[in-house]
Amino acid sequence: MSLSFNPIPFDLAAGFAHWLIVMAIVLILSGISLTLMSLAAGGITGPLQVAWHVKDGIADLLGTSPRRVVALTMLTFREAFRRKTLWVFAVFGVLFLFAGWFMSDVTADPALQVKAYVSFVLRTISWLILPVVMLLACWGLPEDIRARSLHTVVTKPVRRHEIVLGRILGFVLIGTFVLSVMGAVGYVWVIRQLPASMQSHLTARVPIYGDIRFVTREGLEKNDEGKYIRDGINVGDESMFRSFVEGNSKARAIWEFKDIHPERLAEPGKLVLESTFQSFRTHKGNMEAGLLCQLTLVNEAKNVRVPLKTFNVKEFHRNVYDVAEMNPVLTDVDGKPANLEKDLLHDGKLRVEAACLSGGQLLGMARPDLFIRLPSRTFAASYFKSIFSIGLMMVTVIVLGVVAGCFVKGPVATLLTAFVVIVGRLSHTFMKELTSGYYRDSNFQMQGRGILDSLIRIPTHLTPGIEMGDGFIYRAIQAIDNVELSGLWAIQHLFPDLRTFDTTEYVANAFDVPWSASLLPSLAVTVGYCIPWIIVGYFSLKIRELEAK
Amino acid sequence: MAGEVVIQTRNLSKIYRDFWGRKKVRALNSLTFDVTKGEVFGLLGPNGSGKTTTLKLLLGLLFPTEGEVNILGKPATDVAKNEKIGYLPEESYLYRFLNAEETLDFYGRLFNMSAEVRKERSRKLIERVGLTHARRRQLKEYSKGMTRRIGLAQALINEPELILLDEPTSGLDPLGSRDMKDMIVKLKEEGKTVVMCSHLLADVQDVCDRIAILDGGELKVLGRVQDLLKDQGVTQIKTSHLSDEVVKEVEAVLTRNGAKLLEVDHPTTNLEELFVKTVRESAARPGQRYIPPTPGNTPAA
Repeated sequence: MSLSFNPIPFDLAAGFAHWLIVMAIVLILSGISLTLMSLAAGGITGPLQVAWHVKDGIADLLGTSPRRVVALTMLTFREAFRRKTLWVFAVFGVLFLFAGWFMSDVTADPALQVKAYVSFVLRTISWLILPVVMLLACWGLPEDIRARSLHTVVTKPVRRHEIVLGRILGFVLIGTFVLSVMGAVGYVWVIRQLPASMQSHLTARVPIYGDIRFVTREGLEKNDEGKYIRDGINVGDESMFRSFVEGNSKARAIWEFKDIHPERLAEPGKLVLESTFQSFRTHKGNMEAGLLCQLTLVNEAKNVRVPLKTFNVKEFHRNVYDVAEMNPVLTDVDGKPANLEKDLLHDGKLRVEAACLSGGQLLGMARPDLFIRLPSRTFAASYFKSIFSIGLMMVTVIVLGVVAGCFVKGPVATLLTAFVVIVGRLSHTFMKELTSGYYRDSNFQMQGRGILDSLIRIPTHLTPGIEMGDGFIYRAIQAIDNVELSGLWAIQHLFPDLRTFDTTEYVANAFDVPWSASLLPSLAVTVGYCIPWIIVGYFSLKIRELEAK
Repeated sequence: MAGEVVIQTRNLSKIYRDFWGRKKVRALNSLTFDVTKGEVFGLLGPNGSGKTTTLKLLLGLLFPTEGEVNILGKPATDVAKNEKIGYLPEESYLYRFLNAEETLDFYGRLFNMSAEVRKERSRKLIERVGLTHARRRQLKEYSKGMTRRIGLAQALINEPELILLDEPTSGLDPLGSRDMKDMIVKLKEEGKTVVMCSHLLADVQDVCDRIAILDGGELKVLGRVQDLLKDQGVTQIKTSHLSDEVVKEVEAVLTRNGAKLLEVDHPTTNLEELFVKTVRESAARPGQRYIPPTPGNTPAA
């Protein structure tokens, strides 16, 4: 079982730089809007008042009292317990009591069985905890304001950001407690529910992924522009996650692995490759045997090519290829013996090429379809990393809910938060594609992303791949559309990409949840969004009249 | 006006607007008054006169449309002023899921008090407001009077210099009302400044040094209670019991001096006094009927 997406390591420096740019744009736009609004409302003294509020905000921040924040945190925690809000999580228990009836013997394949169980547990936890914390967070402050209990708090020397922080931390504490219980119950349930024969599938494989590129059937590595070819053949998939290489031709996929050192491998010097290629048959052939595949280890610097023993691809299964076991003696194309460490590894780099040897058939490959296996970690480690990731998503939703509650009433805050969550979960990719112009991280650049452009393309049946021309009118249309797309680019950044937090596929497919490709971006999204949101919450609560009629 | 000014309002106005910024109602119009240290100041007025709005402007819960408010030398929106302020809202908007000890501990934490100080002050205040027996009960189980008492206790947790009370006796039985007024007088004796708003005139008269009467958001009367209520055209003499003959002689003396005896009567106590005495006697002598004192009938001590 491989991943259905491409786990790309997160570039923290680039992410931070992007965050700074977005924050700078937001600050400049907010500054201009506030200045204009304050000028309209208060004349020349308006901007001075805004400046005074900002100065006051900084002073408030410096006067933060941890004791007050803790008091408000514990109040929130106590409130949820004493008001018996958490009874709703009894639903979780009921689901687990009866889930076993419906989930036993899903399939004879142990890996799929494990996948079904683990996915069920993690998704149940995720979809139960999120709505509950969202409702708690969205209704907490508005209810406090409506019941006027907040009046007795704000008339004490409490800074408004301490209220926001106290509420957030309180809900995070409740959520963490509940998530810990749910996570532990879910873990025990998976372990107990699965028969002993399937327990070995509860593991966390640690892969090293390489960068993939393709060689054409004619043996070309670069296109007309002199760039490496990133895609193989498209066999008709609308969404081309896998590219295909043609059998019995010069076509192949190339993975370039970095940072491979003998001591990192499963056993020093023991190279284990695992692949999950997809078959595409243009004729029936031998249906009993999988398509024939050959892997070749290459050191380009020394011009050493070591073709490995061929194997039949078992589709929808893990094809584990222990290089030393399958090839007791490594020999290069000239028949000379080759050593993995001395001849093939070069500065920690290793190239692996995969070719299809079955004529007239194709093998589909994507970046995560071939990887080097490192020693596996325990299932528990991977599972609880996934729970941690759900926790980060919960924190993001709580912060958003509490901040929404700072300036609108409970029902509106709930709608607003739900809208951001749904868009962040379902539509983020679409917006990103529209603004970047690239379809699903591929090299396919779309044309006609703007409103005016689309208005012409739809009635004239022009597909997004075709350019409309270079005339004055089209350039004018593009200029106007670019303004809209810039607006959409800005709007896109208001919505966190909540898919980042979904690590279920890693755990369910017996992979370790990677730090750099999953947990680090989750953490970055949480911090990157929560800081500006909390600032918005603080100012919303500060400039708001709590007693306004 | 002598004394340190604790509250100062200048041309304070408040207009409530709707969502679109259109004027809904002018709740307060150009209000100017000062409150000096150590006095009990009453804000009076009928419903909708602007007294609660004034209190909320003083607390920074509302922002003035025009004018200025300074409390303890700081603008009303300055959070630091709250260090020395205690506030009892009209309804005791406390967290009903907490008990009395937890409530005071929570508000004590908001003043950054250490655990020892919080514990000691909570104990003393609970005792002072007479809730020792119910200190572990959640506030949702409290009666209205008990809620007002714990509300007052939370307002005093920081030993404030200025205490703002919104309808402090509202909803209390006469005994509770008397206790509340006694506590206000005690606070004054301790040198605290108290501002209360109420439409229970008798209560205000009992405890306030100065009052302001608002109507329609405008200040109508401002001054010392004694001065405002004094009738300069009438002289009242209180003596011990006089016989009819002596009364006639007094009337004759007055007539000779050109004055007219308007009324000779035995003073009556007020109903609150009678109620409080009855309940206290009842507690002291359970099962016995309380007979109010009359000339020749003095109840046993």
